[in-house]
Amino acid sequence: MAAVIPATGVAAAALPAAPRPPGFFVRLFRDKPLGAAGGVLLLFFLVVGLFAPWLAPYGYNEIAPIERLKPPSWSHWFGTDNLGRDVLSRCIHGAQLSVIIGCTAAALATVISALIGIVSGYLGGRFDLVVQRFVDAWQSFPDLIILIVVVSVIGPGMPQIIGTLALLLGIAGSRIVRSAVIGVREHMYVHSAQSIGASMPRILWRHILPNVMPPIIVLFTTRVGTVILAESGLSFLGLGVPPPAPTWGSMLSGSGRTYMFQGPWLALAPGLCLTAVVYATNVFGDALRDLLDPRMRGIK
Amino acid sequence: MKPPGLRRRDATRLLLAGALLPTLARAQASRPEAPKYGGKLEIGTIYVTLSALSWDPADWAWKINHDGGMYEQLFAADLTKSKRHGGKHSFYADAWIPPEALRGELAESWRWIDPLKLEIKLRRGVMFPEKPGVMKARELVADDVVFSFNRLWASPKKTAAYFDHVRKVSAADRHTVVFDFAEFNAEWDYRFGYGYYSGIVPKEVADAGATNWKNANGSGPFLLADHTPGNSQVYAKNPNYWDKETIGGTEYKLPFVDQIVYRTIKDEATFITALRTGKLDMLETIRWQNVAELKKNAPALQWERSLAMSGTFVAMRVDQKPFDDVRVRRALNMAVNKEEMIKAYYGGNAEMFAYPQHPDYGGYFEPLSAMPDSVKELFVYDPAKAKRLLAEAGYPNGFSFKLQFTTANPDHVDMVPLLVAYLGQVGVKVEVQGMEYPSFLSAMTTRTNAPGYLMNNGHTNPMTTLRKSFVPGQVWNPSQWNDPAFSKKIDAMYAERDEGRRQALAREMVREIVDKAPYIWLPTQYIYRAWWPWVKNYGGEVRAGAVRPWPIYARIWVDQELKKRMGFA
Amino acid sequence: MGAYLARRLLALIPTLLLASIIVFVTIRLIPGDVIDLMLSQNDVAADKKSREQVMAALGLDHPMWLQYGRWIAAILFHGDLGQSLWQNTPVTELLAGRLPVTFQLGLMAMVVALSIALPIGIYSALRQDTAGDYLARSFSILLLAVPSFWLGTMVMVFPSIWWGWSPEVNYVRFLDDPLQNLKQMAIPAIVLGAGLSAITMRLTRTMMLEVLRQDYIRTAWAKGLPESLVVLRHALRNAMVPVVTLIGLQAPLLIGGAVIIEQIFVIPGMGLLLLDAVNQRDYPIITGVFLVVGVAVTFINLMVDLSYGVLDPKVRYR
Repeated sequence: MAAVIPATGVAAAALPAAPRPPGFFVRLFRDKPLGAAGGVLLLFFLVVGLFAPWLAPYGYNEIAPIERLKPPSWSHWFGTDNLGRDVLSRCIHGAQLSVIIGCTAAALATVISALIGIVSGYLGGRFDLVVQRFVDAWQSFPDLIILIVVVSVIGPGMPQIIGTLALLLGIAGSRIVRSAVIGVREHMYVHSAQSIGASMPRILWRHILPNVMPPIIVLFTTRVGTVILAESGLSFLGLGVPPPAPTWGSMLSGSGRTYMFQGPWLALAPGLCLTAVVYATNVFGDALRDLLDPRMRGIK
Repeated sequence: MKPPGLRRRDATRLLLAGALLPTLARAQASRPEAPKYGGKLEIGTIYVTLSALSWDPADWAWKINHDGGMYEQLFAADLTKSKRHGGKHSFYADAWIPPEALRGELAESWRWIDPLKLEIKLRRGVMFPEKPGVMKARELVADDVVFSFNRLWASPKKTAAYFDHVRKVSAADRHTVVFDFAEFNAEWDYRFGYGYYSGIVPKEVADAGATNWKNANGSGPFLLADHTPGNSQVYAKNPNYWDKETIGGTEYKLPFVDQIVYRTIKDEATFITALRTGKLDMLETIRWQNVAELKKNAPALQWERSLAMSGTFVAMRVDQKPFDDVRVRRALNMAVNKEEMIKAYYGGNAEMFAYPQHPDYGGYFEPLSAMPDSVKELFVYDPAKAKRLLAEAGYPNGFSFKLQFTTANPDHVDMVPLLVAYLGQVGVKVEVQGMEYPSFLSAMTTRTNAPGYLMNNGHTNPMTTLRKSFVPGQVWNPSQWNDPAFSKKIDAMYAERDEGRRQALAREMVREIVDKAPYIWLPTQYIYRAWWPWVKNYGGEVRAGAVRPWPIYARIWVDQELKKRMGFA
Repeated sequence: MGAYLARRLLALIPTLLLASIIVFVTIRLIPGDVIDLMLSQNDVAADKKSREQVMAALGLDHPMWLQYGRWIAAILFHGDLGQSLWQNTPVTELLAGRLPVTFQLGLMAMVVALSIALPIGIYSALRQDTAGDYLARSFSILLLAVPSFWLGTMVMVFPSIWWGWSPEVNYVRFLDDPLQNLKQMAIPAIVLGAGLSAITMRLTRTMMLEVLRQDYIRTAWAKGLPESLVVLRHALRNAMVPVVTLIGLQAPLLIGGAVIIEQIFVIPGMGLLLLDAVNQRDYPIITGVFLVVGVAVTFINLMVDLSYGVLDPKVRYR
């Protein structure tokens, strides 16, 4: 079917448009199937987490000692734990906790990374030098050690774990944002904005930030997995979110390990959930990195 | 005429012989093998997760007896009275030796010269080995005992009032020590006899620096040879040790093994695995959850179990509402289904009533069945009655309170939701606060703990178990119990010389305190221990003094042939 | 370069000083102080006099600023980090015992990580977006996604059930008995390294991808050089950058230890030292560890940054 080539402006509108570049999602599913699978998995857990109270067949703390350590069955798909609680329901509520802790801490961390990275990277000079030395000093302490001390000072609890993880990951991630900013700030349009006297906040907001969004988005995605893993490590050391909160980490490191022979499902269920989510955030983050910003590849 | 056949006398003789036969056979079979010398013993002790805190008794650190195999004390347990030898003692108690099982270690004999003067005759020929750079070999004499006591009492880290009952310790002659008491204290043999800090340290070691493990030197069966903090402590045999053991009629010089290794392993899965694969020859603390699997995969292991030497309970602050009302406290006791906890939560591996007194404490302990009805009903699940009591006390709709617990104890972490569920059924809402251990402990020592406080507390000994928890101003009194009449009874118990009367006083006090329920009394679990069959002359004894295993370890011998035959290196 | 180095070193001092103050003060603000812990060991109540005595014995009865001043002076003039409050052992002695253990474990773990990551990263780059790439990368990420304590537990427990064998728990110093030492350290190093490999794998892969797109590589291909030669000669040299970056990123691990692995495999390293010290409120050890870790890692990072100048000609320091 041949296209009619018009002679006037009216007909110009009827010209077939040049083929548009493929949209982001098309590219994701076509070029990065692994990453796409990861993204779908993440979406699944997000939905489960958001609707946990409605999806879970039982409460997460419905204790029934008579029902303890029952293997998976039709009434309890993932079996029951040592207090008779339904493991599936606890995993579903665990998803909610992971979503809360993971997304909150990751979001906070990303905001911190963005703030430090953008300001420090843009200003450069002595300010940058000083800030980077602080970042260096901060990063020289192993994460777990700082977490241990903080949790000992304040006591175990969700807000302090989120806050500390956000701070730790945020400062570490600022390096990445900063190097992206350094790359952007030498561009012509930034110089022209400066020459016409645009204020710094305006430049940062309108010119710098949009161009460093890709690394920021990738940072956020991978951080979610890192936070969930970190909380599980804290649970193992006894410093995680205290009971009866059913985080996957505490289920795995607590009754999962104690009853690993009498009830392997106690460990398998939360362990698989945890591994699946962390795996998904990583492959999805990798795909995002490849698609969004070629410049960003290769850094943690 | 009598029928032919067995006459009665013959029949009796035959019967007797028949009855004796199995006994004889058993005696034959159980005649102990002759011990062999040599080999190494790798032990996961009852404190397997803890490294040594200190090497010097003057640091007043509770664990020194456990790590200090080189230091000996005036008294120790008489292991010939253990169950293995036909006696009735398991020697599991952490800091108590029943008086009839007390043996002089460095003390050969002792007697009361007058009601407040004790004369101790020391053994002769007990030698301190040579320690290059620290001291030459020499005999342990009375002056060493005096020196150790005075040094302990002068330490800046000492516990106040611990030796207030002692006026003076002196050496009457080379082998005689005299204790001059200001008043009689029923714990006299515990406090500087077999207690936590009673090790005899020679002056030369103190001068060289007793806190340095490289200087440690004493008269004990094993001497500290190496210390890798966080991994192991290695002890080498003292070749000139004085004590002997009689096995099968023959006397043997002790100790038997050449080397003892304490393995420090923090992770439970790891130390259970180490036992399973023979990397540990014995493990003194195994939670019940691990027993079934170990019995399946390591069927050759020998087992023993004891009720834990600590009570589990929820302390309620009696100085605040609503716990100032005994009806509320009793109601909460009835609201918890303790029977179900034993059956379902502990899988049957627990007993209802083993605190404040422990069943191993002989005449001090009275079982629940002997208690009056008002005490018994605290251990029967009756939520309806609990609700009635609460309504009577003015809380028909229940109330809410805060419960503190430590996240360092995995059993408590699991138990908290269970307790919350039980109490919720009678309308009592619990707000939980998990704390890491030092902060948790501080809350109690500063008396700022929450109205509910879930904890374990060691018995220590039959008198201290009451004193440390139910006298105002004491460290381990989270319920803030303050009853002058009760405190007076405690004093009377300590001043009582006659053991029988002391036990009667203690029993009466237990009835009273359990009935008044400052705690929600919870079941006590069994703790298991296991050892491989090549560990000989051992029956699961754990402590022969205050947290002191060394007389036990000195008597163990390792059948290295058997170990090789079973396939372990 | 020299000026840059000098400036970096100078900037270090105020930073470390500030960090030391923060660490010193924060630790002492932790609730549940060491006096409580010490006194509560004993069954008899401690009165005020006992508390004061113990405080004086531990040197904790002075105002905070005085304690800090003494501590800093002791470090600067005597190299003395204080003594453990419980054992009276000098902190330097404790650190000297633990640091080599942690360093060795970290080094071995990095070797393991690199042996997994480099081949996978290079392969993934050469065969980008193929099934092989996905499989290889998935394997590496899976190792990262399983919590290290779980991996460690499985490695410890399951062989003992199936084969009656478990990893060594007896620690001997490397110089005393290298073979025995390696027997214990090998497995935890593998577990630790496996988790680290994902990050390096990513780095290697993307470095390779960038390098492969360079003109001189295309020229080499066009000239008909075999792939392996191209890879080996040109691309691999650039793989040094992620290796060095890994060292920089994992420096805290090299010095500060991996607490979880140490706990499971009974390795007496810095991580456990700190964990125990925090549980016992042994302030001198805590502050000593932080200080040593901070200083050492900062130096390592400095070396890493300088080495970029050597490895990558594009980087120049003004």
